[in-house]
Amino acid sequence: MSAATTGLPSAHIARRSAAAGRLKAAAAGQSYAAPAAVLLVVLLILIALRGPSMFTERGLTIAASVAAPLVLATMALTPVAIAGRGGIDLSIGPLMGFVNVTIVVWLIGNGVRNPVPVIAFALALALAVGFINGVLVAVVRLQPIIAALGGYLVLSGLATYVLPSASGSVPSWLSGMAGKTGSVPTAALILLGAFIVWTWVSRTALFRNIRMLGGDERAAYASTVAIRPAHIAAYCIAGLFAGLAALMLTAVIASGNASQGPTYTLTSVAALALGGVSLAGGRGGMLGAVLGALDIYCLNYVLDTFNFGVNAANVTQMFYGLVLVVALAISGATRLLLARRHLRAGEAR
Amino acid sequence: MSAVDSVSLMRATRRHRSVMLLAGSFITVIVIGIVGIEGFASSTDIKSILLISSFLGIAAIGETLVALVGGIDVSIPFIITSANITVVKLLSAHWSAPLAVVVVILAAAAVGALNGVISWGLRVHPLLITLGIGFALLGGMLMFYGNVSVLAPAWLTKLSSAGGTTFGIGIPPTVVIWLVLSLIVIVILRQTTFGRYIYASGDNPLAADRMYARRRAVWISLFAASGVTSAVAGILLLGFTGGADTTVGEPYLLTTIAAVVVGGTTLLGGRGGYARTFVGALLLGVLSTLLVGFGIDPNLQETVIGLILLVMVSLYARESHPRNNV
Repeated sequence: MSAATTGLPSAHIARRSAAAGRLKAAAAGQSYAAPAAVLLVVLLILIALRGPSMFTERGLTIAASVAAPLVLATMALTPVAIAGRGGIDLSIGPLMGFVNVTIVVWLIGNGVRNPVPVIAFALALALAVGFINGVLVAVVRLQPIIAALGGYLVLSGLATYVLPSASGSVPSWLSGMAGKTGSVPTAALILLGAFIVWTWVSRTALFRNIRMLGGDERAAYASTVAIRPAHIAAYCIAGLFAGLAALMLTAVIASGNASQGPTYTLTSVAALALGGVSLAGGRGGMLGAVLGALDIYCLNYVLDTFNFGVNAANVTQMFYGLVLVVALAISGATRLLLARRHLRAGEAR
Repeated sequence: MSAVDSVSLMRATRRHRSVMLLAGSFITVIVIGIVGIEGFASSTDIKSILLISSFLGIAAIGETLVALVGGIDVSIPFIITSANITVVKLLSAHWSAPLAVVVVILAAAAVGALNGVISWGLRVHPLLITLGIGFALLGGMLMFYGNVSVLAPAWLTKLSSAGGTTFGIGIPPTVVIWLVLSLIVIVILRQTTFGRYIYASGDNPLAADRMYARRRAVWISLFAASGVTSAVAGILLLGFTGGADTTVGEPYLLTTIAAVVVGGTTLLGGRGGYARTFVGALLLGVLSTLLVGFGIDPNLQETVIGLILLVMVSLYARESHPRNNV
């Protein structure tokens, strides 16, 4: 359809098609997350059929609060995975545990109950740990998985040292983070805020550098990308999200518990993989991470409606595994098929 | 000529630096133990260190093998636990002991091979596939079995107790099994064509293809081998803990990787070997005994081991700067 036949000014059409093109490009850029989105729709339908109480104001508040630590933990994994070198930060879970026990024991236990110092301390501590991780990977040049392994041992040991068994209480504003603001779940607002911050970060040159690192570190270096700061920045962003995840965890459990954080380690990795974020680096984004984490939460919710009794934890674990393997198989197979079609198209030309 | 000599000397020292560091830290730890802790070199202490290290060492065989081709296996803890429980269940269903053990080991090999087939066929990172398979396997097993509080039979307890003897010699049979398995693995890696194929696959895929190393077969068989060694560790642990235990594998998720890494085998493939992991596993065993001996808060032991791991690895397992990567 040309401008002449429709009678519209051509400039208008150009603008419209440019906008459509941008939209299309944006959609294509997010296509890695499509399986996670489809799975989420399926799970939400299942929830509507089996446990519709989730879609009440109270149900949504609980769902958002309980899902928030996992979503944030998965978000924390994302920048490091995008930065490449097989970066999978297994120490995020123990870091959440460490931040949780330190705010409960060191701050709240000593009478520091004001939101400002508590939140600032949680974020600063997590940021500092992220920075150290980043230095280990970028400057000392350890393999990310080794740095993560060391960090895991150090942090989970420290956390149980600070608080050997679950105890303590939290001020009402902190447990209120698992409640409502007006009629909206506070956790949802926090997640939205985190997502907006991320969207802003992902438009910066810094993030483009991180993505380039993941795509091809040597090429990035040769193109004068400052690879060390970019690596460290990826870990610092991860740290901030982990700090936020720790605050939400503390809000949900309303106490200090060193063993809660590490349980997020493998689940968040599964969520990240479900969300289509590639461990090879350079591919994937926060949308996939969030969808993957929501998938895991909803899967758990659906399974809970079946009343497996004492077996619930085992059934859930089995389904995590099955869904993960199937999702990886589907995304792997589509990628191979696309690559093959691409190849054939090239030969035809 | 002297320039050539110094260059080759430099290369040799660089190559052996990690070995020397590993040996050095091992000797240091032992000396600290002997000087600082009374009775450290006693035969009961040595036996218990060897025993603890042998479970880790056996489980870490698989991790080393897959690391040599640039893979990673996080299903090890799940396979350990599954094997641990399944053997007891089969025995209590009146299977004969050798049959139960063989069936479990074959099943574990199949699970490992499945890890390899999927991760190779779909080009998916093995960490994710092994995680998914591990979750599905153990979750399914526990769901299926229900109650797992079953005691280990006496012959298994004899295999893995610190006071056990092998043909009248005062060494627990588990330690002997570890030594034998280690020897087999080291010989395969160093002396056989298959061993060459493993290193070639991990070091340079293109070159490996040129020498007709069947990389796919190598990859899959190493993951299968990892399943087997995990199962062996799981079965032997049964005798150590005295009964089926649904959490027995958990510590081995991180410690197997730690033993590989402390030993100096890179996770990127092509460099390292089992002899290093052997020392790595021993080192971790001695270290944990040492920390207990010095009365360090049990919660902080993990932290200390993590710090030592980071320091050691910083000394010899650094990656090259991208400017040096072609």
